[in-house]
This record gives sequence, structure tokens and C-alpha cells, in this order.
Amino acid sequence: MTEHSQWLQLQIDKLAEQQGKFTDRAFWLALAELVREQERRSDQLRGEVDGRTWRPDRW
Amino acid sequence: MTTLVLVSHPHLADSTSQQFLKASLPANEDIIWEHIESQPTLDVAKEQDQLRHADRIILQFPLYWYAAPAGLKQWEDTVLTRTFVYGDHRYPLADKELGIVVTTGMPGKAFQRGGAEQITLDAALAPLAAVAERAKMTWLPIFAIHQFAYLEEPEKLQLVVDYQRYLTQEQPDSLGDRQAWFAERLPEMIKQLPPEQQATGRLIEAEFAQQKDDIDALADTLSLIKEQEDD
Repeated sequence: MTEHSQWLQLQIDKLAEQQGKFTDRAFWLALAELVREQERRSDQLRGEVDGRTWRPDRW
Repeated sequence: MTTLVLVSHPHLADSTSQQFLKASLPANEDIIWEHIESQPTLDVAKEQDQLRHADRIILQFPLYWYAAPAGLKQWEDTVLTRTFVYGDHRYPLADKELGIVVTTGMPGKAFQRGGAEQITLDAALAPLAAVAERAKMTWLPIFAIHQFAYLEEPEKLQLVVDYQRYLTQEQPDSLGDRQAWFAERLPEMIKQLPPEQQATGRLIEAEFAQQKDDIDALADTLSLIKEQEDD
């Protein structure tokens, strides 16, 4: 996880903690989870782009 | 999207899971919630009208002997008349989605061959799937809540949003659909924040949108590479 996404996670977690209503807290925490999923998907896509671009047969 | 939630439970007030789900219903959404057993008599015309107007119909109940409670069966037998469902080759429920929210006292792993219950929920609830098929409805993957009483707070928090998404999010439940569901609700959620938290809310919204755009751009690049590989 990059420093930037760690910072974003922290912001969302902090905001979630400040919510008094259970369902509001649930929304922000679920968003934090989705942001983690975005991060994973980005990493995987970047990895796949790198892997497919690295073609020694075309050197 | 209009979602109709039909709850069947013989003792609704005593059910902590059903009360939890009721409190979790998403606000500001087009949702009609009805407890079947609370109806003094089933008004067939009204029930059928509700079904006609809904885009997604949710049947919600505890699993009793591998089936829905008797109240739901009675509702089916009374409301889903042959003429209404498929008579005269009119299919008023066609293309509507049918979702099942089922609570069980046994853990999820019990519902498989070799598990304590020896039957999957898909198999146990096959008669409802057959009704959906007959009515030309789209069957959604079952939303099961196992052993609600044992859930810890983080799991309950997660359940709130998972349940809300099951009621109102586009299907299938892909990353793209999940992102769209949150993006649609973020402005209203930010508006509800106290003024001193709104700037953080907007910042999170912007970062979230940026991450989504990055993923879309990467996916585009990837499909371009794949296209060239095919040449």
C-alpha cells in the first residue's frame, strides 16, 4: 500500500469513527474497504500491463 | 429503482436479526417494506400491484426446516395466482429481479454436501427459484445471514452496507457496480456530515473518484495491449 492510500484510509477511518449513527459509520467503513479493493485492482492491472508490455521476443 | 421487501416471520418483534435489517434499510431510496404476517388479510389486488411496480422484489425470512415460514407460502398461494403470473401469456413480473434474504441458525459451512445440513441453500430454496423462472424473473444470488447472534460489531457494520447494496445496487456485484453505488450516495452522505467534517468528506470523494478513473484508464490500456496481441 502506498503512503498516499494509507493516508486516504486514515482519513476515511477517522471520519467513520466520528459518526454517531451506526448506519453512517457502516457506510464510511464500507467505503474504506472498497478503496482497499480499488488499490488491489490497480496494482493487479498495473502488474498485468507491465507483464504484457515486457515482451523479449520483440526486442 | 423501486425495491419491494416482503418479510415473512411469525414473531417479527422478537427477532433481533429482522429488527437489525429493518433499521439498516437505506434512507432516501425507493423502498417498500411489508411484513406479511402483519396483514390482517392479504389484499390480493394491492399485493399484485406492489409487485407490478417494483423493479426488484426481495423475499426475506428465517429458514425453517429448509424452507420459508408458512406465512410466505400462504402469501405465494394467495397472491401469485396463475392468471397473474403467466395466464394469457402475459408475464407482468418478467425481467424483474427476485432476491432472497435468508437468516439461518447454522453457519454457512453447514449448507453443503458433507456439511451438518447436507443441503445447499440453493437446493433448499429451489422451489422459489422455480417460481422466478416460471414468471420469467431474474433470480439473484441468495443473500444469506448465518448465525446473526454471533456476529461481532465489525461484521454487523459490514452487514448493514452489504444488505443495502443487495436491495439497491445494480447486479452483478462487480467492482464497477460497487463503485457506482458508493459514488451515487457520497454527495448525500457528505451533505449530512457536520460542517467541520464536510471538507474531509469532499476530499475522500475526490480521491475515490480519482482511483476509479485510474482503474478505468488501466483497464483501457490493457484491452488495447490485448487487441494488439491478437493481431
